[in-house]
Amino acid sequence: MRVATWQRFGPLAEWRSLRGLFTGLAALGLVVLVVLALTTDRFLSVENIKAILSSASIVGIMALGLTFITLIGSLVSLAIAATAVMGAMVFLVELNLGLVPALAISMAAGAAVTALQGLIIGAWGANPVILTIGAGFLLSGITTKASGGVIVQPTGGSWETLNSTPLGVPLGVYVMVALALLYQFVLKRTVLGRRVILIGENRDAARAAGMRIPRITAIAFAIAGASFALGGAFLGAFNKGASAQLEGTATFDVIAAVLVGGTLISGGRGSALRTLAGAIVIATISDLLLLRGFDTGAQILLKGVLVVVVVLATWVASGREGTA
Amino acid sequence: MSPAESMPRLELRGLAKSFGAVRAVRGVSLAIAPGEIHGLCGHNGAGKSTLINMLAGNVAPDAGEILLDGAPQSFAGPRDAQRAGIATVDQELSLVPTLSVAENIVLGEVGAGLLRHARRTRRRAAGLLAKVGLEDVDPDTPVDELSIGTRQLVEIARALGRDAGLLILDEPTATLSDVEIERVFRAVRGVAAQGCAVIFVSHRLGEIIGLCDRVTVMRDGDKVLDADIGEVSADGLVEAILGEQLQPAPHRKLDPRESPIALSVEGLGVPGRLADFSAELLGGRIYGLAGQVGAGASDVLRALAGLVPAATGRVRLAERRLPLGDAAGIRSCGVGFVSGDRKAEGLFIGRSILENLTVAQLGRIARGGRIGGREEMQRGRELAEAAHVPTERLGEPVGVLSGGNQQKALLGRYLLHSGVEVLLIDEPTRGVDVGGRAAIHELLREAARQGQIVVFASSELDELLELGETIITMRSGRVIATYAEGSSREDLLSDLTHREGVAA
Repeated sequence: MRVATWQRFGPLAEWRSLRGLFTGLAALGLVVLVVLALTTDRFLSVENIKAILSSASIVGIMALGLTFITLIGSLVSLAIAATAVMGAMVFLVELNLGLVPALAISMAAGAAVTALQGLIIGAWGANPVILTIGAGFLLSGITTKASGGVIVQPTGGSWETLNSTPLGVPLGVYVMVALALLYQFVLKRTVLGRRVILIGENRDAARAAGMRIPRITAIAFAIAGASFALGGAFLGAFNKGASAQLEGTATFDVIAAVLVGGTLISGGRGSALRTLAGAIVIATISDLLLLRGFDTGAQILLKGVLVVVVVLATWVASGREGTA
Repeated sequence: MSPAESMPRLELRGLAKSFGAVRAVRGVSLAIAPGEIHGLCGHNGAGKSTLINMLAGNVAPDAGEILLDGAPQSFAGPRDAQRAGIATVDQELSLVPTLSVAENIVLGEVGAGLLRHARRTRRRAAGLLAKVGLEDVDPDTPVDELSIGTRQLVEIARALGRDAGLLILDEPTATLSDVEIERVFRAVRGVAAQGCAVIFVSHRLGEIIGLCDRVTVMRDGDKVLDADIGEVSADGLVEAILGEQLQPAPHRKLDPRESPIALSVEGLGVPGRLADFSAELLGGRIYGLAGQVGAGASDVLRALAGLVPAATGRVRLAERRLPLGDAAGIRSCGVGFVSGDRKAEGLFIGRSILENLTVAQLGRIARGGRIGGREEMQRGRELAEAAHVPTERLGEPVGVLSGGNQQKALLGRYLLHSGVEVLLIDEPTRGVDVGGRAAIHELLREAARQGQIVVFASSELDELLELGETIITMRSGRVIATYAEGSSREDLLSDLTHREGVAA
């Protein structure tokens, strides 16, 4: 029955009503979305829904991985695009070994470079934002140098499998959904997932309880890195090649998907299914704006507004409220 | 003193407040005279906090009146209450750690201008600090360099600076050592002597009896006792609080069961905090480390738990050397640690009671890394029963529990053959009410009966004497004496306070 500290300070007391405001805003947003959807030509066509899902898939795959980093309390990685590019290049270069080995090598490479960052963050409490910016530059430098600045071409033909559309739906969509279910299971029903969430909830308490924070952080980052590389492989297949400049805004699209899903930026609360929803919501809105003839600028603007509103709403709803 | 002498400073008439179906305060009337120190006690959840929150302007009453010096008040928020002359000091500290003591003291004052005269502020702060016995604290010191106890005194100085007619102290001593408590008492008596009325909330009945003029006991939202302090005994207070006849306390004599395990500590040290701590600790016994804040008792526990990277020394548990500075490594050797700061370093406050109970035993429940829902629930129920936490609430966030139940839920993770042979507990009953305190002491005794080595640190003499079988007194990071069989309050007090003042 205690009153939380932030409520005790005069003007902040009114912030409580923010929760109502955000609920209202969310409801309003939903209504606008539905009305727009119903009044937009071609939106409800099967073709368009497939298009939405397929444009959500690559960002979604990477965002599902990032969810682990955010949940464990390490905010976000800013090396997502650089890791994806590396993943794409490794995948394309190793394709002569066959599709599955190429994918495995690419994901292992992504996992390794990202796990190393996680280890440093977990063991020495490095700032994840700064460290991953550094790692991102480092990776970009390496991929640029290694590729000689030209587009890396596939060394085998099996990349086309990634672009296939079983039952008319792109393979990436299946992979995204499967990954979401797998990660949801890992987070909710395994010792690893439980520890990730508890560390994100309260790192000091986790340390006092004897959890191996560096190791678990490294594993969470490894899962994220493998997912970035997998997304990169799909990207490379989609573009039939990869250059160091590939997909400049990927990092922020992926972060936006996690945050719009409603995973708490400070960690401890969120889920893989939320991230899946976040990726789909963003893709839906982009698609709507596209169909309605808005330009790219408007799409980016709206994405920004959405992220800000949802992040604030998540923070308010996470209820930094009094406990008994 | 004045014509107001017959007029109460604070009068409550039929004050009531409900939260949903919960009637937190049910029509409480009360009068407190100027200069009176009025004790307020009761269980967690008895309605004390709600009553205080109404007085502080945090919560609006559903019914009833608050009168100050005879004038009816209505507070729209904490600022109104402050303006009316009510100053509140909370158990949870609200100082800004990065600001100086002086800046904190003037922070948030009603009617303060935007710009301040730094020198005047500092002088005013120094004057207020002197009133609470902190003459030796430089007003320019950043608050985060002060001990918790000193911060509490700074909070009181801040409240004094607001020319309050009514000072509310909500469990100010919960985190203090006995020497610091004495300072707080002196400060409170000084304020009261100047005509300020004081409401003093505490779970520690000895403090209520030693300090207050009158006492009010609340239970289930009602006032069940309101008497001059001379008319009540400690047992009478406990009965009023619990609402039942007190059972004769179980005798604290335990089976001196010989347990094969032993924790041998040689030359444990932490630079600047702890020097050369050595002891041979045996299974089945409860060891109490006695010390004021900063005396080193907590440091012993933290170092043994692997939470101090700089710790040195040799510690062996059953011939196995503990890796000092590696909390996870030490935990896997069978050492469990319960922090004195439950919210910051103990519980996962937003997670369920169940997850908090099973956190240290996931390995037992999981198969191939997978947590079975049914197995976890089963284990959670067993642990909740062992720890006396309500089993029907396992799914709720642990933060909804009262302080006592939170502490039990925290201890629960190391019960029932969890693989923990050494249980380290820092301040086992901080912020816990009378009923919870007895239950927690019993849990620790049961743990010792099961053969665990139980080591706790406490700054509370009553707790040490009640619970500790062997008591080790500490001061300034050194061991002063070890009492294997019986020690008196006087022994401990003289060991703890021999030198002037406390280590900063």
